[in-house]
Amino acid sequence: MDLKDLREKAAADFKANGFPTTKDEQWRFTDVSRVANTEFSTEWTAASVDFEPLSKIVLVFENGKLSRKKSSFDELPKGVCIGSILDLVDPRIGTLADSQSAFVSSNTACFSDGAFIEVPEGVQMDTPIHLVYLADAEGVALHLRNFISAGKGSAVTVIEEYIGQENATYWTNAVTEVFVADEGSVDHYKVQCESASSFHFQTLETHLGTNAIFSNHTVTLGSVLGRNDIRGKLAGEGGEAICNGLYLLKDKQHFDTHIFMDHAVPKCNSHELYKGILDDKAWAVFCGRILVQKDAQETDAIQSNANLLLSRGAKVNTLPQLEIYADDVKCTHGATIGELNETALYYLQTRGIDPIKGHAMLTFAFANEVLDEVKCKTAKTYIEGLVHDWLENASI
Amino acid sequence: MALIEIKDLHASVADKPILKGINLTIKPGEVHAIMGPNGSGKSTLSNVLAGNEAYVKTAGQVLFDGKDIDDLAAHERACAGMFLAFQYPVEIAGISNMYFLKAAVNAVRKYQGKDQLDAMEFLDLIEEKKKVVQIRDDLLARAVNSGFSGGEKKRNEIFQMAMLEPKLGILDETDSGLDIDALRVVADGVNALRSPDRGFLVITHYQRLLDYIVPDFVHVLVDGQIVKSGGKELALSLEDEGYASWVEEKGA
Repeated sequence: MDLKDLREKAAADFKANGFPTTKDEQWRFTDVSRVANTEFSTEWTAASVDFEPLSKIVLVFENGKLSRKKSSFDELPKGVCIGSILDLVDPRIGTLADSQSAFVSSNTACFSDGAFIEVPEGVQMDTPIHLVYLADAEGVALHLRNFISAGKGSAVTVIEEYIGQENATYWTNAVTEVFVADEGSVDHYKVQCESASSFHFQTLETHLGTNAIFSNHTVTLGSVLGRNDIRGKLAGEGGEAICNGLYLLKDKQHFDTHIFMDHAVPKCNSHELYKGILDDKAWAVFCGRILVQKDAQETDAIQSNANLLLSRGAKVNTLPQLEIYADDVKCTHGATIGELNETALYYLQTRGIDPIKGHAMLTFAFANEVLDEVKCKTAKTYIEGLVHDWLENASI
Repeated sequence: MALIEIKDLHASVADKPILKGINLTIKPGEVHAIMGPNGSGKSTLSNVLAGNEAYVKTAGQVLFDGKDIDDLAAHERACAGMFLAFQYPVEIAGISNMYFLKAAVNAVRKYQGKDQLDAMEFLDLIEEKKKVVQIRDDLLARAVNSGFSGGEKKRNEIFQMAMLEPKLGILDETDSGLDIDALRVVADGVNALRSPDRGFLVITHYQRLLDYIVPDFVHVLVDGQIVKSGGKELALSLEDEGYASWVEEKGA
């Protein structure tokens, strides 16, 4: 199917299905009527939002369109192809993302731009690719579509970062499709610092081949309402998917994380560690579904979700879901919602550390565990800084 | 001047009276041991002194360095020079021992009006203290007490005490759960920290620890009161006779 047909079909799907409501099982706790009932424009304007390039290779999108002036991706290893998804074509675009989802189908029908990354067989890129999405246009819908393909035995690091102008109201609707071929490796980060009045939805769909590795770290700080749908298909033996995330929410932010990990074949590992810190009247939803199919023997799947509530008004719904059809598997999951450990706080105090500093240390420690598996130093330093800044302003 | 003067100290936990009039004075350079059966109030005493808010002082007075400590929170008592080595050191995931020690050392220095140590100065201090209390580098790099063995945790406590250089070290059943080798290592550390201007309060159930940390004074705590005080030989007689006669005498 060419892109034109794909878009037409997606538009028809969207028209037929419409936005989900809280009557849909998968959207029980997340009411998207504020998005559904708003008329968004698609008129384009330039963006004036500051950002800090984290790499020599950086693609900058301004209000949904690639800015060649602000980007820099000239010096690439031989065979690596990076650019706008509108200029580069791959028949796999649109084949992975869940077409039943209203957010995916509206994205497919409408996407205005996005990043295309193709790393050929055997090429191991040392330099991370920084994708920056700047937004400050009032009342627009930003449908962004990214495509990442790592060839056999290749390796690439991609940092997606969404930055919004304070108080701008807009809707980011992003879809990223990731193909990791046999023995390939993709180290993916997503940092979401959207405007506090924006809506942010993203579907990240990943397909892993034999012995492929996909590592993903998601850090959510922005948007008033949003959701990450993170979906992985372990389709080749020996595949490994790591999906870790941190959401730091305050005021009346509502953020939903839905993970679906599909173990279709034997001998794959998946690890998910999600942590949240919630202040004020923030509301987090976490749903982690692991499907172990009949043939997927020797699966090793671990999932955990821990939440720290800094305020009595904050709220969390956490729903681990294991569906296991194989018999020789190791699957664990756990979820906690709590407050800081008073004994640890007392221990710090007896060492001279005052309770305010002690709270900050323990809160940072709680969050920091999520970053233990971060391989990219640049990303780690940057994310730690964001967590520090957030905690400085939280009620601890 | 006395390092710490405890006068007629009464304390409760969850409204239950535990300490019923403790009198104890420790001078700089002295090591006092408090021995007593389970439930006599040993841990309550150490926690009340350290400022644990779950333990409520109901009467009496505690002067530390001549000053009443009533209005000092736990961290202020630590900064003023009091150190509590925990019976069960707390595991804190996500904070490295090094980071924790640096935060503690600099918090104490700040309170005492001293300059903050920078990274290099701090490492020098670590190296200096490693000569007093041996601790493996990997334990310093790991999260505070996380996955440490019982012995490693207690050694870490003594190392922290060496780093913070307190005026008074309170050891709350530091010997519990230690084998004889670990006990000796911990005792060696404490002995190395003994000095004419530092005092110790060693709280223990067993006489064993006092073979290694030899006290100047021994006090027997029964049902929230010190029922007998004496020299180090008192510990030995307790070892032979046990606490039974004291407990009976008090009618507990």
